[in-house]
Amino acid sequence: MIQLWHLINANLRKEYIELKRYYPNTITMIVQFYFIFLAMLLGIHVVGDPQQIDTNVQYVIVNYVIWFFMLTIMQDLGYVILFEAQRGTLEQLFMSPLGMWRILLARIIANLVIYGVIVSVLLVLSMATAGEWLVFRIDVVLPIFLISILGMLGIGFMLAGLAIIFKQIQSVLNVLQFILMGLAFVPLSVAPYLIFAPLVKGIDMVRHVMIHGYTWLDFSFWDYSALILNSAFYLVLGVVIYLKSEKVAMEKGLLSQY
Amino acid sequence: MEKIIQVKDLSKTYKKKKTKEIVKAVDSVSFDVYRGEILGLLGPNGAGKTTTIKSICGLLVPNGGSVHINGYDSNKQRLKALNYISAVLEGNRNIYWRLTVRENLEYFAGNRGVNRRHIQDKIDELLAFFDLKKKETELVSSLSRGMQQKLAIAVALLADTDVLLLDEPTLGLDVETSYEVRDLLKKIVEQQGKTIIISSHDMPVVQDVCDRTVIINGGKVVADEKVEDLIKLFDTRAYSFTIEGQLSEKQTRLIQNHFPIFDVQDNQVQITVEKENDLYTMMDILKSDQTKIEKIDRTTVDFEQVFMQLIQKEGQDDPAVASH
Repeated sequence: MIQLWHLINANLRKEYIELKRYYPNTITMIVQFYFIFLAMLLGIHVVGDPQQIDTNVQYVIVNYVIWFFMLTIMQDLGYVILFEAQRGTLEQLFMSPLGMWRILLARIIANLVIYGVIVSVLLVLSMATAGEWLVFRIDVVLPIFLISILGMLGIGFMLAGLAIIFKQIQSVLNVLQFILMGLAFVPLSVAPYLIFAPLVKGIDMVRHVMIHGYTWLDFSFWDYSALILNSAFYLVLGVVIYLKSEKVAMEKGLLSQY
Repeated sequence: MEKIIQVKDLSKTYKKKKTKEIVKAVDSVSFDVYRGEILGLLGPNGAGKTTTIKSICGLLVPNGGSVHINGYDSNKQRLKALNYISAVLEGNRNIYWRLTVRENLEYFAGNRGVNRRHIQDKIDELLAFFDLKKKETELVSSLSRGMQQKLAIAVALLADTDVLLLDEPTLGLDVETSYEVRDLLKKIVEQQGKTIIISSHDMPVVQDVCDRTVIINGGKVVADEKVEDLIKLFDTRAYSFTIEGQLSEKQTRLIQNHFPIFDVQDNQVQITVEKENDLYTMMDILKSDQTKIEKIDRTTVDFEQVFMQLIQKEGQDDPAVASH
């Protein structure tokens, strides 16, 4: 466990250092986030229903933030494999006795922490600029969000497994972001079978918190069970598929190929 | 001496993408690596060297046979085995060019679950050992290739494993840096008691640094000897005859038939003798046309010639050379 902590720490430092080194890219990302939040906070007055401005603002922003984090989790692991294979460092990472899947886990945790801080600071900044403050139960939204993340992590591992074998999967990753957008915006009441899809239950619960003011006690045991089981299922499935892909790549000698 | 790596009957086949033809990359390769030695793993391109190296590192799953590192199967107990081996597989591409020298060392140590704070002294030690102290805050992209190569080796050493595997450690280095790297490798073994496996095409490096070599050709081990023994073996059996005039056609044909490895240049005839009587046979061939022998020298061979002779000999013995 302590080794995992040092692994996460090392990857957090590396990601932070690279953010500083590639500063034009980082600054562009920060400015982009700031203006997107600002546009959402101000623009919703123009396009939204005046009766439900507060709800609309909260719903759109929280949904956007969730979509962004889910997209990051889903795509990042695949991109890590691609970039490391391109750089020539992939096999070096595979030489770690902690295993590549733990390094990938550490990378994604590092990215979530860094993006979490950036997004939170920018959100507060843009709220201060716009004079519009979001008020919602973060104590309810955050745990639901964190549990949903685990399921998406599983999808991320599946894609990383695909990347180890096929390498060129950028197009797949691009297509998946639109599928993810669909999953994020279709309510469960419209398509109940989507409860088996990753992420959907989590977003649906967040939607209930944001729009209907749900708290912990308003969700049933069934809601929590569905959320946890769904996430656990996709996480385990993702890691298993990833480990199997790793084995296939090692059998076929595909690790260093790009 | 204690065996730290045991490669036993290692076999690996690949299926060619287009033709679906099955190709044997390595075929029942077996050898041991002893603690504290520097072993040279040699072979021409496509001989099966890389397949062997990657199987040792647990990056490739073999079809048959096994590799044990300190008793752990590098395939079935991969992560445990990796506690005892580190490698530099792609030279200066094995490190992050947008991180500084020290950041690279800290990152890769962290990737093995080591606390960054606990290894600062060790990092300082390595920076001093590799003469990189002055460059510790510089980005790797700004370093010379030689320095990048040294850093890649330092990263592998920081893992503090028993075995260090280096694939082409002097590739692309200038002569001076190549000598520097050779000295560093010898010091690593002397001072830290590490076991090093070097895969290289650079024969002077192998001759200078390695205690023993395993030569692979066509996916099979064709030699597993101490470097000095291999040289001695060829050295004592290679003779140069200086004759008066030139060889007749009959003599050339007879030499060709008797000596698979020979060379004729003007009045110089070089042969490699395999049996005791071969030297007398050569003399008889020369005597047959009354050719006067002016001088007989035992020729000096370097490791490169030994390697070439072994590879050529193996090619003649077994024309079915596997490729990868």
